[in-house]
Amino acid sequence: MPDNLSLYIERDSPLQRLNPLTKLAISFSLILIGFLGPGYWLATLLFICVLVPLSIWGKIGPEFLQRTVRLILPLALFLFVMQSLFYPGGRTVLWRFWIFSVKLEGVQFAYLTATRLMNMVGAFLLLLLSTHPSTLMTDLTRRGVSPSLTYILVSTLQIIPQMRNKANTIIDAQRSRGLETQGSVRARIGALLPLVGPLVFGSLVDVEERAIALEARAFKAKRVKTSLIHVPDSVRQRQVRIGLVVLTLVMIGIRLWPL
Amino acid sequence: MAIIAIQNLTYHYPQTTQPALQDLSFQVEEGEFVAVIGANGAGKSTLCYALTGFAPHFFRGEMSGQVLVAGLDTRHTPLEELMLVAGLVFQNPGNQISGAKFTVYEEIAFGLENLGVPPAEMRPRIDRIMALTGITDFANRSPYALSGGQQQRVALASILVMEPKLLVLDEPTSQLDPIGSREVFETIRAMSKQGMTVIMAEHKLEWVATFADRVIALANGEIILNGPPAEVLTSPLLIEHHIGQTRYTTVAKQAQAEQLWPPERALPVVIDEAEAGFRAYKK
Amino acid sequence: MSMRIAIENLHFTYPSGVVALRNVTLAIEAGEQLAIIGQNGSGKTTLIKQLNGLLRPSQGTVRIGDWLTTEHSVAKMAARVGYVFQNPDDQLFKGTVRDEVRFGPGNLGFPAEKIELLVQQALTLLELTDKADVNPYDLTATWRKRVAMAAVLAMDTPIVIFDEPTTGQDYQSVQRLAQIFQTLHEQGKTVIAISHDIDFVAENFSRIVVMGQGQVLLDGPAQTVFAQAEVLNSTDVEPPQLTRLGQRLAIGPVVYTVENFLAALRKENDMQGER
Repeated sequence: MPDNLSLYIERDSPLQRLNPLTKLAISFSLILIGFLGPGYWLATLLFICVLVPLSIWGKIGPEFLQRTVRLILPLALFLFVMQSLFYPGGRTVLWRFWIFSVKLEGVQFAYLTATRLMNMVGAFLLLLLSTHPSTLMTDLTRRGVSPSLTYILVSTLQIIPQMRNKANTIIDAQRSRGLETQGSVRARIGALLPLVGPLVFGSLVDVEERAIALEARAFKAKRVKTSLIHVPDSVRQRQVRIGLVVLTLVMIGIRLWPL
Repeated sequence: MAIIAIQNLTYHYPQTTQPALQDLSFQVEEGEFVAVIGANGAGKSTLCYALTGFAPHFFRGEMSGQVLVAGLDTRHTPLEELMLVAGLVFQNPGNQISGAKFTVYEEIAFGLENLGVPPAEMRPRIDRIMALTGITDFANRSPYALSGGQQQRVALASILVMEPKLLVLDEPTSQLDPIGSREVFETIRAMSKQGMTVIMAEHKLEWVATFADRVIALANGEIILNGPPAEVLTSPLLIEHHIGQTRYTTVAKQAQAEQLWPPERALPVVIDEAEAGFRAYKK
Repeated sequence: MSMRIAIENLHFTYPSGVVALRNVTLAIEAGEQLAIIGQNGSGKTTLIKQLNGLLRPSQGTVRIGDWLTTEHSVAKMAARVGYVFQNPDDQLFKGTVRDEVRFGPGNLGFPAEKIELLVQQALTLLELTDKADVNPYDLTATWRKRVAMAAVLAMDTPIVIFDEPTTGQDYQSVQRLAQIFQTLHEQGKTVIAISHDIDFVAENFSRIVVMGQGQVLLDGPAQTVFAQAEVLNSTDVEPPQLTRLGQRLAIGPVVYTVENFLAALRKENDMQGER
């Protein structure tokens, strides 16, 4: 079982070395432009011409494609089936069988939605696969994001797998006390409290100790924190980020006030 | 100079009538290794919290008397400043891993980052402490992927790197297997040998007897004994207050009643003394 | 029906590929007091999890009386094998100690009067009667551990397994635990414990199984097991305090309790006197 929920893949590449904020800006601008931008093929183009090359540049191409497809494929199939058959106002019938008819407008709408989602999932994955969470958080903290907030985000990534191990032990302990966890729906619902109870109570006990441990490490000290990791940034990257923000704003503007 | 000076310390947790600590007074000299023993509920953990300021700063509650640690009055010094003076390591290794860091190396840096230590200064300090606690090999591993004993040494290193004057340990090995316990005890002993002042609450009397310069026994929040291990650990009060004794003491005491242990000889607390005593009588 | 435990040619490999047990064959008669020792990763926990079906053999068989563990659910096996986990917080969820203790026998479908009787007996045995209406989480960890034990003992199973029963317990609780094991023994129950507390094992178990690398390295009474210093060392078990002292003094046979240490000492002295 992995020790944390981070998706980061350690590779030596220029993409990995980019400042996390730059990658964050790339991801969010791609997502927004994909959704708001004009044209039927825009999201597809962004994915193929921007995200895929970036992932190859980051030496994470295969992992990127595999994960994106695995996440988006079931959703896309569902969209195509539902929209092509039930899209309201669809008139152009492409194909007909029994009581169903596949309509062009539905297929087009499904395609547009699916590619935009793929573009969004891809943009997030590019960020997560190429950025170590602690690098991202270090950089955000340095830029003024509250350390408590970044702590909660990072520790959640690590504590959830710990809780999953604990949950398995609890299930074992309660089954050993004669609790039926399989079988009827009633049995399963009845098994919920004995499983969730110890997990919650146990976490409350842990929370106090964790708080003491954090205090003991001077987490609450009113000093300017430093960081072991130096996260590099450059003027060029800052220019790129400003460019991306401007581009995104322009897209939003065009959307709101069409020419 | 005394690094710890406690005067008439009484402490109540919030909403309790029984004090957890009652009228405690003692001093600890710089560089001493003091073990605190007592049954569960006798006040060992509370004393550890009082020495590090968590009682009353974290737990609230009512405190009277005075605790001076390296000259700082714990009641009037903020927790964050006390942390620079007195480091605390407790039982459960998993809960002492911050969760903020993904590698052991960064985990140890966490405290230094919070103190605002410049990065260039961090690395030599971390490297030195990792070597001292024997965890250099785990530098790039996740702290969660380690065994209990290894995690506890990471917890120890994470505190030691902040260079406290005093190390307070609350049953640091109670959740560990024999190998893990030995690793942690040896590390603590090494720290003590380097001149660090150590206060350790502990159940395992054979280790206490081997390590400590002095032993304080608590019962119901009060000090019942305070002296050298050979004296405290052989006191009949330990049985009376359910603290127990090493098997060496038990067996020698019974042997003494049967004239199988020299009548004038002190009862043993470690295996070497037991061996010497029984050998002396075999002749 | 006799609740003999019969483990035959047991192999177990975790889904991760880690081989945890290699060809373990072990028979435990009803009423035995058996301790399993050995370093972490030696297969102790994997072995006891086989006894109530939490884990099932990759090869070989585990029989509890006439039941094969592969043929019954863990919840069913719970009627024959009680299992006290190391950390009490992995099981406590009821609002009072009494309800917590009632949960196990309730699952086993006993009649109401029998449940009340079993709950009462378990509370008495663990000295919890005056804490019966307290919320377990208002108790200290030491007492929570007792609640967890009472909760399993109230199920009145012929076999009871304890995982590290002395962890976090003080001298008095450990002494109480020794009495409880004695009571269970007198009731004819099979008691199996995993423990790192070697002095406790030496004083309270008539049979000791030493494990290392997924195999049974030694199996027998304390007397013979503690004589094998090298094997013990290979799985990082340090012999009891008195065994080590006895070996240094070279007195008689292997000793491991205050009583047999003194007996050996007396004998030694008498012999010297005769010379």
